[in-house]
Amino acid sequence: MKRILLACSAGMSTSLLVTKMEQYVTSIGDEAKIWAVGQDQAKAELKHADVVLIGPQMSFLKGELQKEANQYGIKVDVIDMMAYGMADGKKAYEQALKLMGDQ
Amino acid sequence: MENIDLESLNGEQINFMMILHSGNARSKVMQSLREYREGNVEEADHLLVQAEDDLKVAHEIHFKMVQQEASGEKVEFALLLMHAEDHLMSTLTMKELVKEMLELFKQKNI
Repeated sequence: MKRILLACSAGMSTSLLVTKMEQYVTSIGDEAKIWAVGQDQAKAELKHADVVLIGPQMSFLKGELQKEANQYGIKVDVIDMMAYGMADGKKAYEQALKLMGDQ
Repeated sequence: MENIDLESLNGEQINFMMILHSGNARSKVMQSLREYREGNVEEADHLLVQAEDDLKVAHEIHFKMVQQEASGEKVEFALLLMHAEDHLMSTLTMKELVKEMLELFKQKNI
């Protein structure tokens, strides 16, 4: 089971993106646990994930988060601008897979 | 990115666009402060200018929605829209404050 953590400042916009991603995952018959948290919980939650995607409003924290994530050998990246702006679940999921090295 | 025709987007995507551009600005404003802290004054100034450009795009989207409503065409209300406005307004405030702070720091040579 792939575990994908999304984080943004309040965890609201990414919650919506989670729904879109889950819909896509179900439609292709994949299985994944995808969840969203706010900026402050991201550091504590990332150990439960295989990959972390963050919202553009916290891209300045990418370095800090990646440092923390290195302990668990997972990657952190900013959600692709087009995927985020268009609330595109498919694109965001594919980005996560790519970061995990699954695609 | 800026070339996207807003007419072709649905309400939810427009809200996301507003959050995206406000969000990019927010990150640049914060990064600007951090660069200043590291002594990279030019980079700090440059990031603030970039943040203003991002905010312009977000503001433009919001402006169009206000205009649309003013012209009698009702804008669909959603919690996400309110959230997008939160992003825009808080980032505008942050940008104004950080701009003033950097000027103050420069003046006081810190």
